Amino acid sequence: MEIGMLPISASKRGKLLAAGYTTLHSILRTSTTHLVRDIEVSESEALEILNFATRSNDLDKSSGSNTNVIDGGQTAWDMLNEERFSSLITTSCLDLDNILGGGINCKEVTEIGGVPGIGKTQIGIQLAVNVQIPLDYGGLGGKAIYIDTEGSFMVERVLQIAEACIEDMSEYSHHFHKDNQAFGVKMHPNSILENIFYFRVCSYTEQIALVNYLDKFVTEHKDVKIIIIDSVTFHFRQDFDDMALRTRLLGEMSLKLMKLAKNLSLAVVMLNQVTTKHIEGSFQLTLALGDSWSHSCTNRIILYWNGDERHAYIDKSPSLKSASAPYSVTSRGIRNSTSSSKRIKMV
Amino acid sequence: MAPLNSLSKEYPLIDSNFQTFCASHAIYSVEDFLLHDLDALFASAANHSNSERLKQGIHQLLLIVDALHPPVLNGLQLIEDAKRNKHVFSTGCEGIDALLGGGLRVGQLTELVGPSSSGKTQVCLMSSSTVAKNKCSVIYLDTGNSFSPQRIAYFVGQSSDYVSVNQADHRLLQNILDRIICYPVFDVYQMFDLLHQLKINLRSQVFIDIVKSDHQVQVLIVDSISSLITPILRGNGPQGHALMISSGFLLKQLAHEHNIAVLVTNHVVGGDDGNPKPALGESWKSVPHVRLLLSRDCRSNVSNISIIKHPAMASGRSATSTRLFV
Repeated sequence: MEIGMLPISASKRGKLLAAGYTTLHSILRTSTTHLVRDIEVSESEALEILNFATRSNDLDKSSGSNTNVIDGGQTAWDMLNEERFSSLITTSCLDLDNILGGGINCKEVTEIGGVPGIGKTQIGIQLAVNVQIPLDYGGLGGKAIYIDTEGSFMVERVLQIAEACIEDMSEYSHHFHKDNQAFGVKMHPNSILENIFYFRVCSYTEQIALVNYLDKFVTEHKDVKIIIIDSVTFHFRQDFDDMALRTRLLGEMSLKLMKLAKNLSLAVVMLNQVTTKHIEGSFQLTLALGDSWSHSCTNRIILYWNGDERHAYIDKSPSLKSASAPYSVTSRGIRNSTSSSKRIKMV
Repeated sequence: MAPLNSLSKEYPLIDSNFQTFCASHAIYSVEDFLLHDLDALFASAANHSNSERLKQGIHQLLLIVDALHPPVLNGLQLIEDAKRNKHVFSTGCEGIDALLGGGLRVGQLTELVGPSSSGKTQVCLMSSSTVAKNKCSVIYLDTGNSFSPQRIAYFVGQSSDYVSVNQADHRLLQNILDRIICYPVFDVYQMFDLLHQLKINLRSQVFIDIVKSDHQVQVLIVDSISSLITPILRGNGPQGHALMISSGFLLKQLAHEHNIAVLVTNHVVGGDDGNPKPALGESWKSVPHVRLLLSRDCRSNVSNISIIKHPAMASGRSATSTRLFV
């Protein structure tokens, strides 16, 4: 394996090549003292380089045993069986849940975008509350992380939605477990508020630093099941001089979020704004942050106005059909739309 | 390139005398040696005191260089190899198969380019299901958590006579899905590690004669390679660019030496005149053997596929398909 493929910085790589270490074997043959002398780095850096090299060499060596399967993969059959038990977070709107196949999927990154005022933050808050629905009631019993970049998080509204959610749950338990008093709802709106971890970021560097830190945070708080970023666009839109830098930063951030979602089995929901784009002679509304960003989510839902009604449309998904469903924003949160002519449109 | 003194440990002929001799001709590294006129070097060595040893040193260097290049093949050997080893795998979609001249060709790197939700992942999933149904195994590198086993099971069920889900069909589906292995990859270095491990596994299998066709990987899919490379491209220095090109070489080497068909996906970016163009830049253009452009008619189920580059088909040829979004 070449030196070019070790994850070390370009300057160290240049020093290694200039000193004559062109192959992995040549690095493995020396010791840290020789490395320190030859390429003029500190002891700890030399040790780090040796560790990378040894690890890559171990990959080469481990081919002695049964070599058919490389570590880290899963067969499609195993993944299919796992998916049957996968966790879904309801949106409290039945039509929307139906087109989503039950709700927002854990292990996936979902992007939700729309014009201002369509209800993106409302959906975000509703999901942060719904993830905490206990397992007895078909929820996940988890906690939520809410990353606020715009300052649109209103605690009073969260309290309102939390109270409505608890009322719905007690109504449900009253309905189905009339005889069994032990099923009384033991949740209090304050406990719902306690389980939402709120972060406020004020610049794009803070946002990137926070995404890097989330790995450690979620490992310490293992119950977190959803991360909501509202909105992921805000700090990247105004006054960003270097567009190439922006593409790189966004690409890296999206890979980190994908990794978080997959490895820690949680749902990542990114809320995005809209912009106009000149396509085929006309101006159309598309989600912001450009073409490269449009590939950084697993599913994409676009919210739009249809007359007087709010609709959600599945724009991108590997397994869901393109469909749109109406929903409404009420004082109790996101609920089914109450218009008389509502039906789910399959596109 | 390596300076000569790094070779002195392994090859005792290249000792300090030899190095001093080379230094007198301004040869300090292997690169200088290769650029130098060898006849003149031999003549100058003959005039030296220990000319025999110096000539042996020059021969030693030449031997080292010779050992490092792959074998030279002639046209007849290449055609024999193509007939025997380089099969074609159908993707399951007739429109795409027609454009590809039968399907994904072993030994070639095929690239799918298209805007978001144009069907690239669907083609990858459909190809996986078709290849696995034909009893070959697939390695799927997924960078966007888009690998959907349900969708693959749907494709399997759609294009055969499965009507009811009884026990035998269940076993059949399990056998098919067991041949597709998915690796979540979120880092370009992770991808390199994986591909190197694959290369070593395949090389060791060549020496063991127990190569069952069931276990040997025939198709490698990377969805999408552009999301791994975009974060490192055009950053500080040419390192990202070098990694992109070496990943292309590695994939093509795997394809040719180990008889694998490789499929990668790429996205589009806005071009200078407003028309979208494939991402990853000018240098990447020459890396894949075949490039197809996908697009989807506004909110309909029809997808358009056209050839950007193909070694044997006219570019601009196009086809449509309605199977991808149903």
